[in-house]
Amino acid sequence: MPQPVQYRGMSLIVPDNDTEWKEFYAHARAHRLVVRKCAACGLLRYPPTHACPWCMELRFTWQELSGRGTIYSYEIVHHAIQPGFKELTPYAVVLVELDEQRGRPTPDEALRIIANLLTPDLRPEAEERVAIGKRVRVVFQDLADHMALPQFTLTDEPPQGRVWRLP
Amino acid sequence: MKGLRDKYCLVGVGETEYSRGSNRTTRALAVEAVRAAILDAGLTAIDVDGMLDYQSGDSTLANHVAPDLGIRLNFYMDVMGGGSSTEALIGLAMGAIEAGMCNTVAIYRSMNGYSEFRIGGTGARAAQPVRGLDLAQVPFGMRSAGQNFAPTFLRHMYEYGTTSEQVAHVKVAHSKHASQNPKALLKDRVTVQDVVGSRWIVKPLHLLDCCLETDNATCLIVTTAERARDCRQRPVSIMGVAGRVSKPRLDFHWAHGPITRVAGYYAKDIVFGQAGIGPEDVDVTGSYDAFTFTTMLQLEEYGFCKKGEGGQYVSSGVIELGGRRPNNTAGGHLCEGYTHGMSMVIENVRQLRGTVDDYCPKAAEGVHTYDYAPGRCRQVKDAEIAMNLGWAMPPLGSALIMRR
Repeated sequence: MPQPVQYRGMSLIVPDNDTEWKEFYAHARAHRLVVRKCAACGLLRYPPTHACPWCMELRFTWQELSGRGTIYSYEIVHHAIQPGFKELTPYAVVLVELDEQRGRPTPDEALRIIANLLTPDLRPEAEERVAIGKRVRVVFQDLADHMALPQFTLTDEPPQGRVWRLP
Repeated sequence: MKGLRDKYCLVGVGETEYSRGSNRTTRALAVEAVRAAILDAGLTAIDVDGMLDYQSGDSTLANHVAPDLGIRLNFYMDVMGGGSSTEALIGLAMGAIEAGMCNTVAIYRSMNGYSEFRIGGTGARAAQPVRGLDLAQVPFGMRSAGQNFAPTFLRHMYEYGTTSEQVAHVKVAHSKHASQNPKALLKDRVTVQDVVGSRWIVKPLHLLDCCLETDNATCLIVTTAERARDCRQRPVSIMGVAGRVSKPRLDFHWAHGPITRVAGYYAKDIVFGQAGIGPEDVDVTGSYDAFTFTTMLQLEEYGFCKKGEGGQYVSSGVIELGGRRPNNTAGGHLCEGYTHGMSMVIENVRQLRGTVDDYCPKAAEGVHTYDYAPGRCRQVKDAEIAMNLGWAMPPLGSALIMRR
């Protein structure tokens, strides 16, 4: 990538030799949520690491996901640390459990991803609407010609399991 | 796991004052803490020939601290690391001595965590460029320790019904302890209502669920049991140590649940196995309180109560002075001040010596009233075994068991 991407006062740096993130963001900019798929055992992994954490295989392919998942946990930031986030408070950070590969290869494992919970037009979702168990889908926030952040937004699907939020 | 039970001792402890504006460098702070620990042990500069320290690009290295005190080193190492480094470095000090590389090791941590390089993540830390694995979290406004841990805490509330009021008792207990500690930054006792009524920082954490950014330096001295007999203080024996034990997928621990499980799940068998004891044998704990929740999560993971019952355990009175097993009797990071774990080991060493520096007039001679009213005593009567539960993050921790 040519230069750091400036986003909310942060310098996001993806050097050319960081092929894991460079290729992930190139797909994201085309609005595809992808993860690495091991060429040996076939398991999917996120973040895009170099080797397979289950079998050490280096060969992989990129696999596109449905972008659908469930809020597994979350937090509501009221006191922002990064100056560029102060205007967004309170904002939700969600841990999303993606639909692919739930409970594999062991029951406690899953493809999970951190993002913000946003409205479809990419503004922070209202705190009262954030809850564990709610269904979400990916949306993309374009940052530069070669970079976009995968974010999530609520869907109309019925929740998965018990829905709960901290009042 | 085979250990070195009772072959090594902690013989010296020292610290600077806790402040929010030390007005001196981390070098000066470190020198004062190491000097205090050497004097506490009754040693001289010649006796110390090993040094270990930890930091995160915010401190002064050993090659500038040791010579300041006239110490010539046979072994030293500067380690990158935060919480949970304390116990790990005690184990490494034992290993260095056991390997014949040196005789006596001083371990220090020095930081201007409030006035210079804020440990809470604002200022210089927030301005750092984002690259590599940080890209998976930081661009979403998830950078500080509280922001990194909050989903773990919230999921515990979801799975086990843990409440804000229950974990607030950790702050209540530690504030009670701090009210007997002349060194503590916050000496006022607080109530559960004070905690849950304080403003949100990152839900489920209120302001008073969070520890206190502090300027401070701390030091511990490790040597063999044989040398310890010649030192000034009653030696405190190391029964077991587990250092920087991690969960799977330390790069992105969310991938490997249950996310409410913390590293103690893996560390407990190592440390209790070496020591040959169980949780019921422990008289005093030092469960790292970066947040109220971290103390609770570790106590339950190490088996002081059943998994999921940490909320009930910490709100039962057990962890308060006068209870069965007080935790962080100096007030911990929530009230005494933040030291990346060192102060909790220092306090437990003093507890086992019977000489905690409370308001009892003859505390240094081991004479205590055991009156736990504010401004009085914080010595635990007949404390024989103490345990420290070090925390770096949910998937990374350390542990230490000591006896008098």
